[in-house]
Amino acid sequence: MTDPILKATGITRIYPGGTVANDGVNLTVRPGEVHAVVGENGAGKSTLMKVLFGLEKPDAGSLTVNGQKVDFTGPKDAIEAGIGMVFQHFSLVPSFSVYENVVLGSEPAKGISFDRAKAIATVRELSQKFRLTVDPLPAVRRLPVGQQQRVEILKALYRDAQILILDEPTAVLAPQEVEELFTAIRALTAQGRTVIFIAHKLPEVLEISDRITVMRGGKTVGEVETKDVDESSLAAMMVGREVSLRVDRAATTGERALEVKNLRLVAGNGVTLADDLTLNVHHGEILGLVGVEGNGQAELLEAIAGLRPVAGGSLTLQGTPLDELTVLERRDRGLASIPEDRIAQGLATGASVAENLAATRLDDPRFVRRGILNLKGIRDNAVALIDRFSIRVGGPDVDVGTLSGGNMQKVVVARELSEQPQILLVNQPTRGVDLGATQFIWKSITDARDGGAAVLLSSADLQELLALSDRLVVFYRGRIVAAFVNHAELTSETLGAYMLGIETQTPEAMAGAMR
Amino acid sequence: MSSIRPASALTEVTRVLLAVAIALAVAFLIVLATSEEPIKAFRTFLTAPFSSNRTRGLWIDDVAKLTLTGLAFSLVFQARQFALGVQGQVYVGGLAASFIALSPIGVTPLSIPLGMLVAMCAGSVWGFIPGYAKARFGASEIVSSLMLNYIAIRVVNWVIRAHLAPPGSGQLNSPDFPDASVLPAIIQGTRFDLGIVVALVMTGLVWFVLYRTVWGLKLRLVGHNPTFAEGAGIRANVVMISTMTVSGAIGGLLGAVYVQGRAFGRIAIDFDGNLAFEGILIAIVAKSRPLAVPVVALAYGYLRQGAQLMGLRTDVPTEILGVVQALIILLVASSFTLPGRAFIARLMGRKPEVAR
Repeated sequence: MTDPILKATGITRIYPGGTVANDGVNLTVRPGEVHAVVGENGAGKSTLMKVLFGLEKPDAGSLTVNGQKVDFTGPKDAIEAGIGMVFQHFSLVPSFSVYENVVLGSEPAKGISFDRAKAIATVRELSQKFRLTVDPLPAVRRLPVGQQQRVEILKALYRDAQILILDEPTAVLAPQEVEELFTAIRALTAQGRTVIFIAHKLPEVLEISDRITVMRGGKTVGEVETKDVDESSLAAMMVGREVSLRVDRAATTGERALEVKNLRLVAGNGVTLADDLTLNVHHGEILGLVGVEGNGQAELLEAIAGLRPVAGGSLTLQGTPLDELTVLERRDRGLASIPEDRIAQGLATGASVAENLAATRLDDPRFVRRGILNLKGIRDNAVALIDRFSIRVGGPDVDVGTLSGGNMQKVVVARELSEQPQILLVNQPTRGVDLGATQFIWKSITDARDGGAAVLLSSADLQELLALSDRLVVFYRGRIVAAFVNHAELTSETLGAYMLGIETQTPEAMAGAMR
Repeated sequence: MSSIRPASALTEVTRVLLAVAIALAVAFLIVLATSEEPIKAFRTFLTAPFSSNRTRGLWIDDVAKLTLTGLAFSLVFQARQFALGVQGQVYVGGLAASFIALSPIGVTPLSIPLGMLVAMCAGSVWGFIPGYAKARFGASEIVSSLMLNYIAIRVVNWVIRAHLAPPGSGQLNSPDFPDASVLPAIIQGTRFDLGIVVALVMTGLVWFVLYRTVWGLKLRLVGHNPTFAEGAGIRANVVMISTMTVSGAIGGLLGAVYVQGRAFGRIAIDFDGNLAFEGILIAIVAKSRPLAVPVVALAYGYLRQGAQLMGLRTDVPTEILGVVQALIILLVASSFTLPGRAFIARLMGRKPEVAR
């Protein structure tokens, strides 16, 4: 066995206020391997990475790099020790070119002036060497997300990182881009670099990593060879119990609930966001909206919810044209919506849990009588929903903003599903939510479906779409380019090819899946 | 359901008190540098407002007015609208109440309630305009409300000078109102009048509206997150306009309390002495919570009156008073970013926000 290139022993980090984020965490990374760190949200992965990169100082424990004990006071020390980090949220200057971003902070100089030619050449050389294909010249903001990520990786490599930490790198990528990233990671390790890969999508972890460290509740619960584990044993280690993420398909499909016909959506600046959208959703089915983010799925959901004007075409809910109805009238007809971003759209984080749970039903006599709030009714409703949706919270009067992401999402789900909806709009229901809560939210959505809701589901997670949807439509550049009836052989690779516009479906094939 | 946790409320109070202490220390240094008798001057500053019935009346009169303007600002701030139009509303409200007082109704007992009502109507119109302009045309309420302030002040001053002042007298105020149009004194011979009662009743009313009515809940939800409120079926624009209108009514009421109060009993040009604007400070320190507004007004009013009495009774130059007042405002307002905040938080056993 080779000596570890990086070894963290007994790392403990307690935040002021007493939150124990890391409690005696051990991590041993061997040179040239891809080492995955997995765990649910709040398991302490991010804190550990911040310690490794010098952003957090551990309260106890030691760190060795290449057998040398190190004591980082900031990221600068970590970079000098050969550690590079790519965050989930990139830190690039959008208006700068690729090469400028890569060399920013340690530019090659010719005298006192910036040696651009040399910078471009270096970036080109690096990108060829590590198979991170990206043109050094265009401005970063013009690149797709996958390429921006490569720029981030190049930035670390330019600073000669021997150990590269990637924080949930696949969260923002389409399947094909994930493959390209994996190719690059393999090229990196083939040339002796070491990669630490943080993730919670287990299939990817199993594919790319050599060894896996599992974290739970701030502690390391195990270090395993990837070849010795499978998805369910890994999930059980992460959660601490057996989890099943399988859901049952809809038994029967009912009447047509929502008709979208030739819908056209235009942004405020006149740019067409979506055009010629035609689809139907039936009671008791989940229709998955597939597509790379920004291809019109979110906009369609907003239009149905009444938050975005319709520029052409029609929306019909159970025979009633939707166009004339206000948001409240749509909600009164049984429309519910779990929006994409719970903090920006789904909740008032400064208000209490009880107020958030009542906010969509302020015409309900249980909550309001003659304009006066019925505090007891609002509170009772919250207590009941907290129990029914097992929301972990101190009480109904606690501010929503103090809850964890998973529990915030449960507040949104509880409010929207407290009464059986007729039509349910769901966008990214489990983004940044841990496995336990994901399981619960999926169950809530399928329960709503079985209760007769027509569900429109959009998600960046293809596994989620494949697990939940009865039918799927693929969006590309604001149009529907393919439709499928979900079946066991349908894979994310197939969907990915349509999502990226690589393949196209014949009108006949599409019509076959358009009920 | 204002979820005020005792620990955090305590932290805030500590923070504000610390800021006041620093402000007083700096003020003392300034007095030391500018006065022949710094100890006497500073003692006047600290004790004068409480020294006699008359000065206590001055203080309470300020408290009443600061409370009303603080409430008006709190309301719009809770809806996260930065409408700064209270001053303009005070002027149009004051003028409206003056018309009632100087009309034949002025000698009847109806004058005071009717004057207040008319003032509230005038103020609410002044509050409605920036709200509507924002909803309809996207005009920034900061700019439009400030401009409306200038318009109101200039127009009202002109009406007073050109039409209400006795012709040819060269005065810059209206004739005195009839007794029936002046708020009754609670303590005879002082400014301690009905104004403070009006202010306290309004405090209760604003609290009730904000925390016990559906409109108040909608207002707060829009303030927390307008995008969410729209998605929940709340018409954020309607809430926004109505909030500014209601806040305008409170501003107008303050105008009536001004001109009907025992301090004036008539309308004069520039009558608010910029006090209306200081409601911003009151609202910020009170974190826009109506029940905290009178408490903050009580403390701030004391310092304000103390500084003014120091100017009248000692050799501290009047210019310095402005400096001292501005310092207090500056320090109290910036107490929200004082260094050592985490330290205080830990002292209070409260978890600071943890970024994981």
